[in-house]
Amino acid sequence: MKRALAFLLLATTVVAACGGNVAASPTPSATASATATAKPIQVGLVTDVGGLNDKSFNQAANTGRLNAEKDFGLKTSVIESKKQEDYVPNLTTFAQQNYDLVIAVGFLMQNAAWKVAKQFPNVKFAIIDGAPANDAGNTENLPNVANLFFKEQEAGYLVGVIAATMAKNMVGKATHNTVCSMGGIPIPPVDHYIAGYQDAIKTISPTTTILNGYSNDFVDQQKGKEVGLNHISKGCDILFQVAGGSGLGYIAAAKEKGVYAIGVDVDQIDVAPGTVITSAMKRVDKAVYDTSNAVKSGSFKAGDNFFSATNDGIAFGKLDPVVPADAKAAADKALADIKSGAIKPKTDLTVK
Amino acid sequence: MTIDQLIGAGVLAATLRLATPILLAALGGVVSERAGVVNIALEGCMLVGAFFGVVAADQSHSVVVALVAAMAVGAGLAAIHAVAAIHLRSDQIVSGMALNILALGLTSYLDYQFYGTTGTPSDLAGVPDIEIAPLAAVPFVGDVIAHQNAIVWAGLALVVLIQVFLFRTVPGLRLRAVGEHPRAAETVGIAVRQTRYWAVIASGMLAALGGAYLSLSVAHSFTDGMTGGRGFIGLAAMIFGRWTPVGALVASLIFGYGTALSFSLQGASIGDVRVPVQLLSTLPYVLTILAVAGFVGRSRPPAADGIPYETEGHA
Repeated sequence: MKRALAFLLLATTVVAACGGNVAASPTPSATASATATAKPIQVGLVTDVGGLNDKSFNQAANTGRLNAEKDFGLKTSVIESKKQEDYVPNLTTFAQQNYDLVIAVGFLMQNAAWKVAKQFPNVKFAIIDGAPANDAGNTENLPNVANLFFKEQEAGYLVGVIAATMAKNMVGKATHNTVCSMGGIPIPPVDHYIAGYQDAIKTISPTTTILNGYSNDFVDQQKGKEVGLNHISKGCDILFQVAGGSGLGYIAAAKEKGVYAIGVDVDQIDVAPGTVITSAMKRVDKAVYDTSNAVKSGSFKAGDNFFSATNDGIAFGKLDPVVPADAKAAADKALADIKSGAIKPKTDLTVK
Repeated sequence: MTIDQLIGAGVLAATLRLATPILLAALGGVVSERAGVVNIALEGCMLVGAFFGVVAADQSHSVVVALVAAMAVGAGLAAIHAVAAIHLRSDQIVSGMALNILALGLTSYLDYQFYGTTGTPSDLAGVPDIEIAPLAAVPFVGDVIAHQNAIVWAGLALVVLIQVFLFRTVPGLRLRAVGEHPRAAETVGIAVRQTRYWAVIASGMLAALGGAYLSLSVAHSFTDGMTGGRGFIGLAAMIFGRWTPVGALVASLIFGYGTALSFSLQGASIGDVRVPVQLLSTLPYVLTILAVAGFVGRSRPPAADGIPYETEGHA
């Protein structure tokens, strides 16, 4: 009886295996296209903490996702991470469902993406602002992971040109010749922005005092506001935030004290009209959009992908009316010079 | 490193601002635990207070309506905890944690539904600062307290009110009796469960006011998870403060001072060595540990804290 059962099982397995081969053998291309129409490309986005309307990079990534869904007919979804411990489970959720592309939003997800990407070699991954990093913290390129980097220093440089021109000429409320910046945590994508900003200020207006600080947080608005109030008490009248949600508190301090602020990542002119004079933009939406398209068209490139002024991945945002024409002209010229390679903004901080 | 960076008026004013939300959560903890109910849902109460305060301010354009709405929603969330803890006699930690997760998910979801990707409106009605004109000209003192927010003052007033209520009034004595020895309290005719219900609901209102301070006084907007664990820090402040309002105030001020210092000392150096930002961000916790080790000694919670009460005959 036992032997008969074993034989039956074996026979079933062989038949099933052969059956599979037979079904797959004729015209593989036809089968592939049939699968493509039956199952659209699936893109999953895992946000960092801070939420979908952080008015910053989570929001931009989500905008890119929605645009890609609309323009390329993809099936997309998003999971919000509430804390850092959520990264691995959230990425795994999409990978287990055989998504074609799973996008991790943020430098802080480097290790989580490495773990999950190694476990699911057939799923493509992309990390905004980062590369896969192993448990020792060293980056390790994987054949199924695209590292989406931005030249933040270029965006920082552009808004730095505007801030420096206004500080030098004492435009409007910028009367103390002092400009400041605040990062969330001193990590490369944050410090690159600030380095470019400081580089522009040192170049254009060497006498301007520069201060920099950190809120040690990307969510907490009260901490950002306290750093802002502290900077303003030291004479800062142009405040550049590079701290996501926490940076909204930095802008709130500028608004309360009637000085100027510069937004980051997305166009934040509407966050506080009359306070925010422009924004240093990195087009996270474009990175998500382009990478989704690359997966669909088969041109996905693992390893480093750079978004910069050259491919319109970097820009400065809308300008408040207080920004004078010469400041805008200077920023436009700097943008052209960065594209041509005449200006290469620094990536190391001038003032720590 | 200068004296001004250590104890300047700017640092002390920031200390008050940073201590206020922690203080309000801690006061909520004191009231609830003195009556014998552990309420770790304070974080969730703060978060719904922060969010619904913004929604009400947006709809009504009135700060008063906004604060009442925030506290009402905080009371509502706490009431769920009260039913679970008092009526259903469930595990109070589990119930509190569940409500915290609910609050985080609910506010995040509704925030996205109501305000989409544009965020909360930039012209929200905010809680005003109280300008004390005669003090403003006084050096130092004026810089510290002459321009503080109305809720900062409300928090300080509540410390006095709750301290007097708990330790100098008959209803306060009854509330403490319920938390220390509910059976004895019941035998002298105190309604144990009813007292506990009111205490938990009051704790939710206090925490929600702390949340509304963050969204309506500080940030003038709501962002996901903006309370950042202050409800839990408030519980720690309550323990360091030995379950008394004045103690909670001292603990909150220490924590606020540590945070304020971590900002004012940025860029400072000792000799030629720059103080690293990461090290500074540990200051609030280091100060707290020092304070606990040095001053608090052994602290004792109310005897019936966290133990559901069963009326005689039910057991």
